[in-house]
Amino acid sequence: MELPRQTAATTTPLRRSFLRDNPSVLWFMGLLGLFTLIVTLLSEGMGIGLISTNLVKVLGMTLCLCLIAVAMDVVWGYCGILSLGHFAFFGLGGYAIGMWLMYARTEIVIRDSLGRGTIPPTELEVSEGVAAQIFGVVGSSELPLIWSFAGSLPFQLAMVVLVPGLLALVFGWLAFRSRVTGVYLSILTQAMTLALSLYLFQNDTGLRGNNGLSGLQNIPGFLHLPQSILSVWFFWASAFALGAGYLLFAWLVSGKFGSVIRAIRDNETRVRFLGYNVEGYKLFVFTVTAIVSGIAGALYYPQAGIINPAEIAPIASIYLAVWVAIGGRGRLYGAVIGAAGVSLLSSWLTGGGAPNIDLGFYRIVWTDWWLVLLGLGFVAVTLFFPKGIGGLFDYLVRKP
Amino acid sequence: MSALLEVSGVSVTFDGFRAINNLSIAIGEPELRAVIGPNGAGKTTFMDIVTGKTRPDEGRVIWGERSIDLLRLSESDIAKIGIGRKFQKPTVFEDQSVRDNLAMALKNRRGPLSVLMWKPTAQDRARIEELAEEIGLTERLDHRAGALSHGQKQWLEIGMLLAQDPRLLLVDEPAAGMTPAEREHTTDLLKRAARTRAVMVIEHDMDFIRRLDCRVTVLHEGAVLAEGSLDHVTKNQQVIDVYLGR
Repeated sequence: MELPRQTAATTTPLRRSFLRDNPSVLWFMGLLGLFTLIVTLLSEGMGIGLISTNLVKVLGMTLCLCLIAVAMDVVWGYCGILSLGHFAFFGLGGYAIGMWLMYARTEIVIRDSLGRGTIPPTELEVSEGVAAQIFGVVGSSELPLIWSFAGSLPFQLAMVVLVPGLLALVFGWLAFRSRVTGVYLSILTQAMTLALSLYLFQNDTGLRGNNGLSGLQNIPGFLHLPQSILSVWFFWASAFALGAGYLLFAWLVSGKFGSVIRAIRDNETRVRFLGYNVEGYKLFVFTVTAIVSGIAGALYYPQAGIINPAEIAPIASIYLAVWVAIGGRGRLYGAVIGAAGVSLLSSWLTGGGAPNIDLGFYRIVWTDWWLVLLGLGFVAVTLFFPKGIGGLFDYLVRKP
Repeated sequence: MSALLEVSGVSVTFDGFRAINNLSIAIGEPELRAVIGPNGAGKTTFMDIVTGKTRPDEGRVIWGERSIDLLRLSESDIAKIGIGRKFQKPTVFEDQSVRDNLAMALKNRRGPLSVLMWKPTAQDRARIEELAEEIGLTERLDHRAGALSHGQKQWLEIGMLLAQDPRLLLVDEPAAGMTPAEREHTTDLLKRAARTRAVMVIEHDMDFIRRLDCRVTVLHEGAVLAEGSLDHVTKNQQVIDVYLGR
């Protein structure tokens, strides 16, 4: 009797089903879905009202921060590029959608007031009215060139993706091609962020200088709906974006691509001698994560209601790195834990929610001491849990 | 036998120190060649030049039938064209499994998008098993590369080199830190590889080179001092003076 010959296919394959290889993705999706359901049921707008509209917004915004943290984890934790500029992409996404929100809503208001006259307003009158309304605050009444298509939602949505994507592509191409790595690259990205932020602070850049864009919580076309409903919608959109982004990145880092970018992180010279174009990979990762950051920003700022250049300041990107480090680099759920945990704790402690502690001789006021606590936490995590909070899961699930 | 790689008149200077001085060397296919020489003779720098890591000040490096000028290519292009390199210090990706290390080295398309969409074919899987068998790591395929012993890491790196299926293998001190039995295995691996490819081995250990039983090039102060069989070069008075005599 002849035994069937063992074929190569029966040995352990390199990649089985994606979800079977990554049980944490299923867990994450399940928990995210459950969280969304619970928040919806408890919300003011659609549920029993246990969670205020304001809190729904904070939670939705937190989901957006989790999304950019996941992107940061891919670029830093997996590919080894410590970018201190991803919040710039986040802010640009916010500005892109903010322009449409502000323009379209102002247009409605202007048409409304001009329409009360006997003669219907001309398009020129409307556009001049909108410009005067939006830019009066910076002493101008002309619509800047970059606002030419601000009235078009599809155009501004394309900008959400294109502006961060192109900036990342050009910046990354210049930086990676010159083989700038490590701390020098971090400094370069930080310089980019700072330059962008300082530029936007000027009044004549066409984005209202330090006033930024405001009133973004009012969504044209849905002005009749209360914020309690809109907030839940945006919460859903944020949850969906986080889920989709998480899935995309989990897939990206799971196969051979993930293998290559982790190899680049660990020893990029060696990867080069294997025949991989390291710069191309870095550019790809940098640009994709920048685009996702832009999308996260475009969902964040309508919930925040306002965006100004201070949001883009380098400190925001540094916070981002701190979240990812605390949560655990090189694992996507770690980034989510870090971003959600630290940013929620931050808004609790600095928003006056936490009780101050009276030591008798000294009163700990959390708004003053929060940064100290964060700094100590950061030092403690890097010293005692170099793998971050997410690393604690390794004790639960032993890997072979 | 025409030359696969031809290095001619190459010089390179680092901060005034002439590491390679008008060096000319050629290797055919298939061929096994050992390169020896005292410390600072320019052995590793020579490999750096061929693999594109270092650009020489002058000279030519010509590859293959179509006489491609390697000096104009990037490191990754040189690797893709068919030159594989093993470093002196074993550099495998310790965080990843032996299988992933080999899969990364397999001769497949290297662009980000093709890698993203890559699914191992039955052929790829079989090739990985075959390579693992050859380097004696079948049992360790799904273990972290970082958990391997020093000698096993050296082998894994040789396996990755073979997975690339290069026409020329540049091997820097493959036997460093190996036990005598491991050395013997390594010699066999290299000799087998050299049946179909060009293999250039840098080594200090004379016994190892004797076992390789091949043509030897002696480098000294960045230039070729002598070339020929091991017996021939070890009888050369200059070689004895600068290298063996010490």
